[in-house]
Amino acid sequence: MAKTREKRPTSFYFLAAFFALFVLFLYGPMLTIFILSFQGENGGLTFPMNGFSVHWFGNLFEQQAVGDFGGSFLRSLKLGLIVMVVTVLVSFMAGLAFRKRFKGDSVIFYLAIASLIVPSILISLGIGLLFNIVSWQPQWFTSALGAHLTWTFPFGLLIMFAVFNRFDPSYEEAARDLGASSWQTIWHIVLPMVAPSLIGVAMFSFTLSYDEFARTLMTAGALNTLPLEIYGMTTNVTTPVLYALGTVTTGFSFVVIAIALGSVLILRHRKGQKA
Amino acid sequence: MAFDMSKRSSYFLISPMALIFAIFLVVPLLTIIVVSFWDYDEYRILPDFIFENYKYLLGSSVTWQIYLNTFKYAALTWGFTLLIGFTVAYFLAFHVRSLTWQIVLFMLCTIPFWTSNIIRMISWIPFLGRNGLLNSALMGLGIVDEPLEFLLFSDFAVVLADVHLYTLFMVVPIFNSMMRIDRSLIEAARDAGASGFETLRHVIVPLSKPGIAIGSIFVITVVMGDFITVRLMSGGQSASVGLQISNEIGLLQYPAAAASAVVLLVTVLLIVTALLRMVDIRKEL
Amino acid sequence: MTTDNSKTTKSLLSTKEVTRRGFVKGAAATAGVAIGSGAITGFPTIWAQNIKDVTLRQFGTGVSNINAVADKVKEDLGFTLQMTALDSDAVAQRAVTQPKSFDIADIEYWICKKVFPAGTMQPMDTTKLKNYQYISKLFIDGKLTPDSEIAQGTAPHTVGFVEGADSVEFASAPTQWMTLVPTIYNADTLGIRPDLIERPINSWADLLDPAFKGKASILNIPSIGIMDAAMVCEAMGEVTYGDKGNMTQEEIDKTIAIMIDAKKAGQFRAFWKSFDESVNLMASGEVVIQSMWSPAVAAVRSKGIACKYQPLKEGYRAWGGGIGLAKHLTGLELEAAYEYIDWYLSGWVGAYLNRQGYYSAAPATAQKFMSEDEWGFWMEGKEAQGDILSPDGKVMEKAGAVRDGGSYEERMGSVACWNSVMDENKHMVRKWNEFIAA
Repeated sequence: MAKTREKRPTSFYFLAAFFALFVLFLYGPMLTIFILSFQGENGGLTFPMNGFSVHWFGNLFEQQAVGDFGGSFLRSLKLGLIVMVVTVLVSFMAGLAFRKRFKGDSVIFYLAIASLIVPSILISLGIGLLFNIVSWQPQWFTSALGAHLTWTFPFGLLIMFAVFNRFDPSYEEAARDLGASSWQTIWHIVLPMVAPSLIGVAMFSFTLSYDEFARTLMTAGALNTLPLEIYGMTTNVTTPVLYALGTVTTGFSFVVIAIALGSVLILRHRKGQKA
Repeated sequence: MAFDMSKRSSYFLISPMALIFAIFLVVPLLTIIVVSFWDYDEYRILPDFIFENYKYLLGSSVTWQIYLNTFKYAALTWGFTLLIGFTVAYFLAFHVRSLTWQIVLFMLCTIPFWTSNIIRMISWIPFLGRNGLLNSALMGLGIVDEPLEFLLFSDFAVVLADVHLYTLFMVVPIFNSMMRIDRSLIEAARDAGASGFETLRHVIVPLSKPGIAIGSIFVITVVMGDFITVRLMSGGQSASVGLQISNEIGLLQYPAAAASAVVLLVTVLLIVTALLRMVDIRKEL
Repeated sequence: MTTDNSKTTKSLLSTKEVTRRGFVKGAAATAGVAIGSGAITGFPTIWAQNIKDVTLRQFGTGVSNINAVADKVKEDLGFTLQMTALDSDAVAQRAVTQPKSFDIADIEYWICKKVFPAGTMQPMDTTKLKNYQYISKLFIDGKLTPDSEIAQGTAPHTVGFVEGADSVEFASAPTQWMTLVPTIYNADTLGIRPDLIERPINSWADLLDPAFKGKASILNIPSIGIMDAAMVCEAMGEVTYGDKGNMTQEEIDKTIAIMIDAKKAGQFRAFWKSFDESVNLMASGEVVIQSMWSPAVAAVRSKGIACKYQPLKEGYRAWGGGIGLAKHLTGLELEAAYEYIDWYLSGWVGAYLNRQGYYSAAPATAQKFMSEDEWGFWMEGKEAQGDILSPDGKVMEKAGAVRDGGSYEERMGSVACWNSVMDENKHMVRKWNEFIAA
């Protein structure tokens, strides 16, 4: 690590410039939304700006002519949290299972891969048709939950693979030698070691669910989730309140990231202290 | 006996995931296959066993046109995301020297990923429109006299939005592969007199292949099934396979949608199988 | 709130009406007072106590699924109305495939033609609707005035009634059993940006005028878009139709061929599928001429941008929507639904819709909730005396403005065709997809 500071090659500066452009490309359009959300009271969805106000942020929390932001936001939040908890739990269990070979393990593995690559709209269509044929009512907490889990499980499982592939089993062996039961080993040794990755899984699954559109389309049932509501809004709303919503949801995502990162840092810090 | 126990616990541990996949992935896909042979009228699906849906689908020139169009989007998006994604990952992995900076810059790239896709997509519209930011800027600078029309509601706009949305899917796995390349290999190459470019070509690219394959699988499958980007960014003027399916769903023509879905599924699986020959995902994680 | 409400009701509705509304409110408030009411047949007294707990779930397009209506229902009738706004594809889909997910369907008549035979809805007994008598004749026998001609397409009265309480067969003449109670309708035409178009526009054919290359748009909902396309082709003299609302395969093929040529020549900037897309395309100047809905024109204008709802010599393409009952509704909820639907016709919503630029299905009751100036501007084609306000209080038109297209009779009287579903629907949709993919 103690390298002497080499002079940077010219390619570095080209690549750095390229990277800067890439970041600009990523953030640029979001900036237009951010600016437009401060549109004046009589402004529209496009440029030019018609004054400057925070009117649309206030408007966001008032009742809209059509639709229901608040309800769909809470619904998405609840759904995201359920998906998060289930994904963390089930992926962790599956990760443990996959540490040993068992009959059918490759079937499950390829199902996970299939789940990842089957276009979302097919999952939506399939579950919608299935529920239709057997006369079940699609609901956000049944069919949509299932549809979201098919999307988050593969990510959870793959992350768990990555973790356990690098996992040093000697700690467990030590624990077992000291007479710990397998549950005690998991609880006291394995879990704390993989906790940061589980937070990663949690964060991932929450956001994937919170943003999921295509899989929810035919599975949400009577009530809309936030992305469906936003999509509905793009077809009904003609005011910058949509952009205000964009700015606020982006802000919300930042908060979620901050919380997740914060907890990882705290975990690390504690671990450091213990050591 | 201990062996037996652990086996049983493996099955116990995997059962929730297996169950969810069975109910919400396997059975729905089987349903789609079954329904694709059904008949339909204005408002009902009629259990039957007919090939009419496939016959029409495969016999119609529209289908081929749509597939061609979708492949075009997929290929262009794949090409651009690969170029950009590889370059960005390369910069992060080999030119940024401290781990902290690597993490910071990497986070910087991932943050937009956490915002709603739909909002990220529609944010291009005021930017690219006839009176949008870009056209105003170009005209203000005197670069063009007339607003550029091709910027919005065009294939250009669709590919741009796709690249914007999915480049990250390329960056992450490639970066992951690159970080695992043993740095001594690169030093060895340099010591053997290889130029930077030669090292890139003969050492880094081959060793990044797994990441490239995983990223490609992601990007291609997502674009193949996409319907919302195409609809919003082409102004409804272009079609893709996903959009066709979503239109058929909208018109209650479920069996037709199911037949399209089966064909799309087969296509995607063929592409992915081909890509998987390049890489053993389970080993690469 | 009670006094306030009864005041409005009293001044605007007949005494009989007041008694019943008073009863509902009063009984709901002083729960337990059991009074039988002759107004509603076979009406259990327990209903009054539980009315507040009833929640009716309504879904429909954003056009009429307005939260203000739900608020007013809570205020006037005491129960909760839960609204879900969807696009028109999703509306048809939900009505057929998820019959238990809604209590009240707010759908268009052409969708009704597809959906009602699926048996997921139940017809309404018109004798239970006191305001039935005020419904415009347009929805009863298809004639706005006794001597008007019935337009082509799925005219609402043709799918407005079924033979009996359990029937899904549309009746050829009015019966006691109504599929949808009409709520909202309008006549659509081309919208233009007069500031960006120099010459006068007077025909549907102007949509394909090469002068507007790259600046035209058309509605991309197949069953409606094909109508606009047919209006255009007919006006151009390229195709003659037996019935634009029920075209033959050959007519469809010819129409689509013309549209594909125009598309390939770069005539269209974009296609729109929803209200706001049409507004945004027009407001941003991406498009200067397109088929458009009246309130969309109003929305563009409210941003201070010139936009005209251009009457054309070939006439309008009309559409209408209504609310109907889900099959599964029974007992208390069914009675609440009847109460709601009757209330819908009683004028408050009608006035609200009129002020948006749509038309109320029971104009006579709506008039009572509108000022003379509003009525004159929106319905009679008169010059506005004062500023005309939107339902949420924004100035929509300044004093002196006259509504494009004139009075209610002028507009609804020159309907050439209604939105419809054709016998050759499957073929049409396939051809339409070719157009989109071309």
